[in-house]
Amino acid sequence: MSLALSCKAVSKSFKGVPALKEILLEVNTGECFGLLGPNGAGKSTLMKMIYGLNTPDSGDVFVQGLNIKTNMAEIKARIGVVPQDDGMDTDFNALENLKLFGMYMGMGSEETAAAIDILVSELKLQDHQFKRIEALSGGLRRRVAIARALLHKPTFLVLDEPTTGLDPQARMWLWSFFRQLKKNDSTILLTTHYMEEAEALCDRIAIIDHGVILDCDETGKLIRKHAGEEVIEIDIDGEKKSEKSYWIQKIREMNLNYQDFETKIFIFFTNLKSRQEFTSLIQSTHYTTRKANLNDVFLRLAGYQIRANA
Amino acid sequence: MIKIWYRNFLFFKKTFLVSFFWTILEPLMYLAGFGLGFGRYVPPVEQLPYLEFYFPGLLCSTIMMVAYFESTYPNFSKLNYQRIYTTILMTRIDSSDIWFGEALWGTTKALLSAIGLVIVASFFGMYSHKLFLLIPVLLLTAWIFSSFGLIMISIAKSYDSFVYSTSGLIVPLSLFSGTFFSLKDVPETIRTIAYCFPLSHAVEIARTVLHKDLNSSLILHFAVLLAYGLGLSFLSLKVFNKRLSQ
Repeated sequence: MSLALSCKAVSKSFKGVPALKEILLEVNTGECFGLLGPNGAGKSTLMKMIYGLNTPDSGDVFVQGLNIKTNMAEIKARIGVVPQDDGMDTDFNALENLKLFGMYMGMGSEETAAAIDILVSELKLQDHQFKRIEALSGGLRRRVAIARALLHKPTFLVLDEPTTGLDPQARMWLWSFFRQLKKNDSTILLTTHYMEEAEALCDRIAIIDHGVILDCDETGKLIRKHAGEEVIEIDIDGEKKSEKSYWIQKIREMNLNYQDFETKIFIFFTNLKSRQEFTSLIQSTHYTTRKANLNDVFLRLAGYQIRANA
Repeated sequence: MIKIWYRNFLFFKKTFLVSFFWTILEPLMYLAGFGLGFGRYVPPVEQLPYLEFYFPGLLCSTIMMVAYFESTYPNFSKLNYQRIYTTILMTRIDSSDIWFGEALWGTTKALLSAIGLVIVASFFGMYSHKLFLLIPVLLLTAWIFSSFGLIMISIAKSYDSFVYSTSGLIVPLSLFSGTFFSLKDVPETIRTIAYCFPLSHAVEIARTVLHKDLNSSLILHFAVLLAYGLGLSFLSLKVFNKRLSQ
């Protein structure tokens, strides 16, 4: 399989503070790849390198085999980017924004008009194309940004937190749109804070923190590896510290994977049997059983601390 | 480069009426207020009726003001609030192209306002074919202050930062560059300081070309403008590129 993205020992520091430390990463053509990490983990630094707003201090980034240091113009023609803040030109309406972008991209006006026609209908923007950008809802604005990213028919789509700040309906709508894109063999690189979004869309996921990739695998495998099949959450009464130590001692005796966080204990089970064994011990009703998910993986790998810049 | 210019032109077309209004009304007020109103109490300056003396100064300071304001406030917004430069950089356009496009647009807008001023001035009997000779000087002056404006947006932290450049440089220049009074009649120190800055050279060239006999000192004045143009372009492009790479 050919590579859509290849990062070879990529490092980058800002004013002496390392943002990326010798990152190794490969994204295959045609897959939807999720890059997850807390704020300040290095996601955006890496994303910006791919779309040309950043260069590595050392190491190399290749997009579809082209080096970002030497072939950025060619790469820009091949990738479509939905940046975190959409960078819409608020002096113009939605349609004009698309036309302007076509012009910046060096597309002919007929070619641009034809592409806009298709995208406006695919993204259901017919009734909104003549509206001022500031009059559009967050979801519509993002749809315009997506239309803009797809205008020049890129084969590699970079989505930097594409659903942040949107309501659930708008988010669901975009998910199904991204799934459609996947069917067309487009490569998608996605960053998000929403674990359910990554779980729903991504074939493979890398979790990054403090500029280092903590793990990278297929979504299901990642969950099984770090959080098992099922999770029990025990709620502890905040007053009773002894209760918490009682549970932790029990869990240790049974050699189970667990994590405690303030008034909660999470226990990770790799199979149904061990979970049943454990629940038979519990008299407390303050617990819930659920399937392991990406959130567990994320929190286990990246920790629970709120970041200073979060 | 031309695409960035064209984007601004498209926006200008949308807001044409507002621009048109000010392009005509402002010079009308200045010419009527200062030239005719105030000028009535003033004896000839440098052997010229006050209105004639004042007009070249107004022409050059209008060029400076429009070029400076056009390349600061709207572009600061594009850079920091609309963030459209980030969008544009995702295309094949690079930051040098953006710089050239914006500098060219600031220059264009300044020239348009000069045309507006000349149209208004023609009603006061100020039109002269010699104005066409001034085009290179006016373009160069506009370019200088567009470049300067683009330096300011590259280093400004907020809109408030422009107070320093506006009140500290642009307004004093518009007052003390031989616009309202002759630099020949001021103390040596003030004259020397005034000639350290580009606007006084532009005004001197404009006044001489329009109302006096041409002389070789114009070459020197033009050389100073040219040096400013080249120096500021170089510096401006450098800091602008640096700002956009952050």
